[in-house]
Amino acid sequence: MMMKTTLIAYSNPYLGKDFFQFFMQFFRRLWAIIMGNVSSGDLVSDEVQIFVLVGISISAAVVGTFLMLRHMTMLANALSHTILLGIVFVFVVGRSRGVFSQEEHQGFNIQALLAASLVMGVVTTFLTQLLTKTMRLQEDASIGIVFTTLFALGVIFVTVLTRSAHIGIEVVMGNVDALHVDDLRLVYIIAAINVVSFSLFFKEFKITTFDPGLAQVMGISVGFFNYLLMIQVSLTAIGAFRAVGVLMVLAFITGPVLIARLLTHSLRMLLVLSCVIGSVISVVGVALSRHLLSIHGISLSTAGLVVCLIVVSYVFTIVIAPRCGFLAAKVQESSNSHT
Amino acid sequence: MCLAAALVGVLVFLRKQSLLGESLSHASYPGVVVGVVVASPWITTKNEGLVIAVAVAAGAFVTAWIGLLVIELLQRKVGVRIDAALCFVLSAFFGIGLTIASHVQFTHTTLYLKMLPYLYGQPATMTDVHIVIYGILSLVILLMVILLHKELQAISFDRDFAASLGINVKTIDAVILFLVVLAVVVGIRSVGVVLMSAMLIAPAVAARQWTNNFTMLLIIAALIGLVSGFLGNYLSVEGNRYFSRGDAYWRFALPTGPMIVLVAGVMCILSLLLASERGLLWRKLRALRFRYRCICENILKTLWHFGSENEIALEVVAKYQDISSIYLKFILWRLSSHRWVNNTKPRYYCLTNDGRQWAAKIVRLHRLWELYLADYVGVGVERVHRNAEEMEHIISSEVEEQLTQLLHNPKQDPHDQPIPSKDFVI
Repeated sequence: MMMKTTLIAYSNPYLGKDFFQFFMQFFRRLWAIIMGNVSSGDLVSDEVQIFVLVGISISAAVVGTFLMLRHMTMLANALSHTILLGIVFVFVVGRSRGVFSQEEHQGFNIQALLAASLVMGVVTTFLTQLLTKTMRLQEDASIGIVFTTLFALGVIFVTVLTRSAHIGIEVVMGNVDALHVDDLRLVYIIAAINVVSFSLFFKEFKITTFDPGLAQVMGISVGFFNYLLMIQVSLTAIGAFRAVGVLMVLAFITGPVLIARLLTHSLRMLLVLSCVIGSVISVVGVALSRHLLSIHGISLSTAGLVVCLIVVSYVFTIVIAPRCGFLAAKVQESSNSHT
Repeated sequence: MCLAAALVGVLVFLRKQSLLGESLSHASYPGVVVGVVVASPWITTKNEGLVIAVAVAAGAFVTAWIGLLVIELLQRKVGVRIDAALCFVLSAFFGIGLTIASHVQFTHTTLYLKMLPYLYGQPATMTDVHIVIYGILSLVILLMVILLHKELQAISFDRDFAASLGINVKTIDAVILFLVVLAVVVGIRSVGVVLMSAMLIAPAVAARQWTNNFTMLLIIAALIGLVSGFLGNYLSVEGNRYFSRGDAYWRFALPTGPMIVLVAGVMCILSLLLASERGLLWRKLRALRFRYRCICENILKTLWHFGSENEIALEVVAKYQDISSIYLKFILWRLSSHRWVNNTKPRYYCLTNDGRQWAAKIVRLHRLWELYLADYVGVGVERVHRNAEEMEHIISSEVEEQLTQLLHNPKQDPHDQPIPSKDFVI
């Protein structure tokens, strides 16, 4: 999976750079891109990785904020599993129609992927609610049943139809190094959809999240925004599966938001902060992975590394956070004992 | 394996922590990876299976336990909601495991291949060694559940009550969590990290539809777990044979782990639909039957109101019912075939003696309830009719008796209509 050495066979300006040189080089390249000196075809894999991961972080952070506030992150977990079925379906239908070329990583059809994620998002949410409301099941149990069954179906289809578990593993693990400029387009379309939808319906999302009763009185359909959010979650997951896999996208969804939650209490700040944190961590993650490869000769999964970084920064924030961190608590304790 | 998972699943399901297994099974992944790596120096071709199985079980156990602690810590100390904590631990641990795995893949490809079965599970490649190890672990779970049966039951339903019985609630809690972790460890080899949680949840949910008794719940869940284990295996083997018969091109392996999960899921959904007491189908049927009785009673009442002796035209009856005329005719046909109604002339109906008694009872209940509402609850006389329209179908004979006593066997309702006496005879 980690074919870094083969992918950078052509001249990659990041080859052999260490952590700080990487950033110098990155900013130089970024300037060149902004000035229009580099066309999109000339982007090297590190840059594609950075841009894709940043895009994913932005969508994930925006979606994750509302999921967290609604206590529905486990539903995101369910969605990220069930889209496997959607992906498989797109893959199979696409291949039988000849939409995909023979090479495996060429041209995942973007519209088809978007449609699949849409359908799976609605289906999963609908089934879960069906089980909860009509069958009177506990919510977490119904989530658990729906997504595992659909996921098992997905895995079986993958094996039956492609005769290898390769896609299955790739979908779960993700593969940053196989990213393509096309992925960039997909990820940014999805990020744009997310950002636009949230800025258009910011008020509605806020009200339905914090006070469903008030929303009902104001004539805002709680159900509609619930489904919209779920669709956006599955969009995000499907945008991310090629890069980070359907499981680690959950770290992108929850991690930055949890970090930001320690730092602020305002919803707007929460959104902005989690976007920024997610993006910074992604960039640092790519740089670190390059650093480890060029200096120590260790090749690690970049997505995994980013997740590790998220964990590290979360622990760090817990310790030093100004209001609720352990350090702050200690300081307050000592100042209390003085007075 | 399935048996052990199903038993533990019941415990978590009753504690409303079904998704805990999902998080823990993912959290065990780094343990699998580390276990394989740590075991690597001792691997020889002879003892390979044993060493890896033991190391993986140990590693998975440790990291799943750490994951559990982290979830607790996040909830208690940092104040993170349970769902976010579960989700974060799940993805974070999986990510860490994956990072290590990616390094191993680069340096020791053969070791990496040893870890792969744990992701989706491959019971087909299990050997005697695995069977012995996982058999022992499952037996431990089974024994613990049987021995601690009473404590578990008490604690699952009422913690305060359990504490008052002198049960050490904290210890039992720890034991339950220990069992969950153990079940995860047992399960990941056969159904895989990703799908393990299904084996915890599905049998428990399915069993819950059939019984209200804790012991029965455990037994049924265990049976469902067993059946889905066997059936999943059988189907995957049969499916392979079936598909590979026709064409060499279609030679592939139906994955067994997902197959087991699929069977469990289907059984769970069937139980939800068909279970005798709580199943959706039966509930719908009961609702339909109740509605049917309501319509019957309404028709009888209409006939009664137009004079219990007279023959009433179909159109008149239809005017007072809001159901389609075909359904109305069907119900009238049913009523006359059960001798509640006489159908002497075509399209004309008249109550029989039995029908008259039933109708009188309904009218009596209706007017009793109206009187009760007006006199005791203080509802305005003009508003009592609508509520009584519903209650007349529900009031049982015991309630009727109590109402009669409470209202001193009344003769007139608030609208000054006579209340038919209890044993109405023509």
